[in-house]
Order: sequence, then structure tokens, then C-alpha cells
Amino acid sequence: MITAGIDAGAATTKALLFRDREIIGYRIGITAFDFPTAARNMFDELLASCDMRREEVGNVYATGYGRNSISFADKSISEITAHTKGVSFLFPEVQGIIDVGGQDSKVIVVEDGRVADFLMNDKCAAGTGKFLEYTAKALEVPINDLGGLALSSNHPADITSMCTVFAESEVISLRARGITKEDIAAGLIASIATRVGVMAKRMGLKEHVAFVGGVAKNGGMKAALEKELGTILYVPSEPQITGALGAAIAAQGNR
Amino acid sequence: MSSSLPGLDIFKNSYEFRIAQLKEERENGIKVVGTLCLYVPDEIIFAAGADRIVLCGGRADTIPVAEQSLPRNICPLIKSSFGAVVDGCCGGNLACAHVPLVDVVVAEATCDGKKKMYEILPDYLPTYVLDLPQKPGSPEALNYFLSELRKFGKFMEGLTGNVVSDDALKREIRSANETKRLLHRLFGLRRRDPPPIRGSEVLRVMQKQFFLSPDQFRQGVGQLCNEMEHVTPDARTGPRIMISGCPMAAGNTKVPDIIEQKGGVIVVEESCTGTRSFWDLVDEDKDPWTALAERYLEIPCACMTPNDQRVARIVDLAKQYDVHGVVYYTLQFCHAYNIERLRVQRALKKEKIPLLAIESDYGDSDTEQIGIRVDAFLEMIA
Ligand code: SF4
Ligand code: SF4
Repeated sequence: MITAGIDAGAATTKALLFRDREIIGYRIGITAFDFPTAARNMFDELLASCDMRREEVGNVYATGYGRNSISFADKSISEITAHTKGVSFLFPEVQGIIDVGGQDSKVIVVEDGRVADFLMNDKCAAGTGKFLEYTAKALEVPINDLGGLALSSNHPADITSMCTVFAESEVISLRARGITKEDIAAGLIASIATRVGVMAKRMGLKEHVAFVGGVAKNGGMKAALEKELGTILYVPSEPQITGALGAAIAAQGNR
Repeated sequence: MSSSLPGLDIFKNSYEFRIAQLKEERENGIKVVGTLCLYVPDEIIFAAGADRIVLCGGRADTIPVAEQSLPRNICPLIKSSFGAVVDGCCGGNLACAHVPLVDVVVAEATCDGKKKMYEILPDYLPTYVLDLPQKPGSPEALNYFLSELRKFGKFMEGLTGNVVSDDALKREIRSANETKRLLHRLFGLRRRDPPPIRGSEVLRVMQKQFFLSPDQFRQGVGQLCNEMEHVTPDARTGPRIMISGCPMAAGNTKVPDIIEQKGGVIVVEESCTGTRSFWDLVDEDKDPWTALAERYLEIPCACMTPNDQRVARIVDLAKQYDVHGVVYYTLQFCHAYNIERLRVQRALKKEKIPLLAIESDYGDSDTEQIGIRVDAFLEMIA
């Protein structure tokens, strides 16, 4: 059976088609203001790119922040469950997941492919992609370059503010003092790695840990987190789609 | 569901009746005491011929008034209660009509926030503070608390002009025990699968426990129990949940409402608006003062240290009620319950009982975020 998963995230919407044990295709796009429209568009684009019609797809499951507003979905499941299913499909040996997205971050403890415990931070921008987005702006570098810059730093700057607003002004004053962009970028990344690292340690994650979400594309971030946790992280080739993948797998009906 | 339990209406429609009752009592010279904590024994108040009413605030709308005087970063229960008193005493119309009916507040030295708030309260209402040992379980602590209770008895005698006799105290102990036994019956019925009543419904009943007169409360609970024995509950198949943590004062039902809306079945609450208020009975055969002191020091509140009895009670309740998971509920900035979470979590983990921690205030801004966690938790334990 062919199933679909829609991950209606606050920043990006992902759609994915799944058959038996393989991913047929996926699509990632900006959510903008409206979950249902973004989901509908992404799904239609995905079908077109895979040369398929809606009728060929069985169940459609939604997940993500806007999951309950996707009217064409048959069911919705929480992000925690979805990511766990998606990541466990890609890496069956995984025992923990760190997901740092645009708006929130989560840490999941996985036992035999199932959620055993979880922790979420969604009240505050610190420790999420938002932190990097704002501070990258203050640094005047494109967010995608932040990780590369950070990797070439020898003396990461000390960023003490966890609060995004204060960190922005800290970046500005570091620049005024002539600290290099590389060192500031590395400092920013180390600061969110510490924050997320604390969450992971609180949940007791040690090894076989996957790193997913938009921020996992950032190589500097991956390196900083690996240093923080003392383990090599599993990062899927496309770390943003594990939620949609998990939803599509759940839609297959086999738990 | 609720339509099949008309007994619930007794509680819903009780406010006006109770206010009228208190007004009439005051006209007849009966003193009314306001309380904010389980540690203040009702038995002594009633034995002195006074009445009592709970002042704990669960509403968000009195908080801005409180924040004109108190720091913002203290627990919302303290702010809401204080705001209601300030507003009620200054002729505002936010607070409930019962604040101006109170002759004196009998406060207690429990958490820091309340203790320091009680130092400001006398500017608005006469306030008496009952002291508590913080390390119960020793003979010295018991003796000290016993002396505090006797002192409180004297205070009540001065207030009312009545003597708090041993006989009167024994009578009130028996009466309060009767209430406790009835609540055991109510909670016992909830062990059924599925339970015959919703958790949010029980909470709304428990929020009235120290608001209504004991007679009226018992009458309502008794009727409710009779109805529950005969009700056929609609098939509720969701996971069985225990809530444990801070009190949920009247007006605050946010988290239980979310849990039920997401399909969780709340079967028991380990809180001051749950088991803590009635679980232990007062010994009716002992010297009444000693019996009261012993029983009240057994209340497993996080203000006490170490609080092993609470940790053990939670594990025990989780088993008795056959719960699939525990939602550990704390009010924002309540250090005692927030910190104690870890010990509870570790004890439950040993028993393989999952815990979801939710820290919240009285606002609505985190409803969605709580919903996301609850959804995930229910999926996890399903
Ligand atoms: S939680 Fe503790 S301090 Fe608060 S009402 Fe209950 S017993 Fe009193
Ligand atoms: S909930 Fe906690 S902080 Fe608030 S009054 Fe009770 S013990 Fe104090």
C-alpha cells in the first residue's frame, strides 16, 4: 500500500510518499501563514513529481504543529511518535533522538523503536533554530554558512546569553570588539549545543543517538553536539523528513 | 456523561446558597475564618463554633491586582489568592463575594511565597499564622506542632468567646472523619475500569470541599456516590492517568480539561484537591489534640523534608488505581513541588510507570503546547 505523511511544521511543511519499505519521494517547503494551504500544495507537488494521482494513495497521516488543521489527512499523530517511527525505520539501533527544529527542540528516549520518554522545549527560542536565525542575522551571515564558519574557528567566543534577544546584542558587541565572524559563529553554535546537550543528558542519552530537524543540516552544530555528548550522531541524509516519514509509516497500519 | 450524575449539580449551584448562609451566620455573631491550606485543622475551627471558607485562588483575573504589589515570579496560586483579598477588601468586583465575609485569615508557615505574602496580608485582613515544623516524624516536631495547635485553639477561643472543649473537638473529629470516609468511597468507585465519573468532575467537587459547610458537602458527595454505583459509564478506553502535584484551586481546571479532551482517563489526583485532603483519618480514640497533631503532620506536602511519605504514597496510588501514567503537575515557580519531581520520577521509573511533567500557570498561552505533550504522552503509554 502507498501511504503519505504530512509534517505540518511551524516553519516548514514536509510531505512524503511511502510504499512497503521504501520512500517513493518527498517535498519540503515553507509553511508561511497557513498550514492547510501549505500542506495541500506540498502534497499536490509531491504527487505530480512522483507522477501519481491522489487515488493511488491510501492513508494520509499528519503530524507537526498544524497537524489538526489538515482536513485531507485521515488521522494525526504527535511529532514525538512520528519522529520515533521515522528515525527507527532509518536507524533501527537508535536509542535516542535529538530534534532541533525552527521553533522547538525535543529529546526522545527510544526503546525497541518505541517512545520511552521525551522532553520538549517550545516555550523559548533558546535552543532552537530561531536562536541561530536571529543571531546569524546580527552577524550578517546567511544562516546556512554559520556551521561552516564555526568549523574554521580556533577560539570560539563565549556567548553567555541564552535569551535570543540578549544574545543578538551580545553578537553586536562582540563584533564591535573585533572578534572574528568565525569565532562568534562557533560561540553561538556552542551555546545552543550546550543547551540541547543538557536536555539530552537529562534524558540519559548516551550512544546511538540520531540528530534530526532542520538544524541537523548544520555541520558545525553536529560537531558541537557530538563534542558535548561524546558520541557520533546519526544524521539522515535528509534530516527534515523523519516526521513525515514516521507519519507515512504509521499510515501503513503496522505498529 | 455528566447528565447521568445529577448529584454534580448540587456542587455547581451551591455558591449563592453558601454565601447567603455565611451572611446569615455573621448576622448571628458567628465568626468566619478564611484558610489557604490543608494544615489548618477544620476541626478546631468548628469546635470553637466558627465557620470557615477556603481562600485559595485558582483564577487568573485577580493576578494583575496582586502583581501591583507582589513580584511576578511567584506561584500563581499565591498571586491569585492575594489579588482576591486585595480586590475584595478594596471594594473591587473581580473577587468572589466571600472575601469580605471573612473575619480572620488563619494562615500557615508552609512555602516561602505564602509565608512572606502572609506578612503583607494583615494590611487587608486580620491574619493569624500557624507555625509548622518542617521536618516531621520526630517526637520533638510532634510536640511543637501540638503546642502550636493548642495555641491556635486559644486564639479561636478568644475570637469566638467559646471554649474549645475536648468533647467538642472529638465531635468535630468524628464529623470530619465521616467526610473523609465518604471521599474514600467516592475515590474507591473510581478504581473501576472504566471509572463512573470524570476526573475533571471530581476535581470540581473537591474544589468545593473547604468552601461548603461539611454537612452540605457530605450530602452532595453521598448522593454522588449513590448515583455512581448505578451508572453505566460510557466506554472510556483511553489510558488511565493519575495527576500528582500542586493544588488546583477553584477556577483552575486547565490541565485536567486538556488531558480529557485528548482522550486520557483521569482516575485519581494526588494533590490537596485530591487524596491529600482525606486519605488519612484522625484517630478517634486518642486525646483529640494529639490525634490531630499526628494526623495533620502526616499530610505529604512538598513543604516538608524529607517527604518520603509522599513518594511512597504516589507509587502506591499508581498501583492501586492501575494507572498507565502519571502527569506531574506543578504551578510555575512552586519550587517545592518542582524540585520534588525528580524523586517522584525516579521512584516511578523503578516501577516502570511513565511520568509527564507539566509546569503551568493560570494563563491560556500554553494550552497548545501542553496539548502537544499530552498527545505524545498518551500515544506513548497507549
Ligand atoms: S500544597 Fe502544601 S502548602 Fe499548599 S495547600 Fe497543600 S498542604 Fe498546604
Ligand atoms: S503551589 Fe507551591 S508555591 Fe504555590 S502556594 Fe502551594 S506550595 Fe506554595
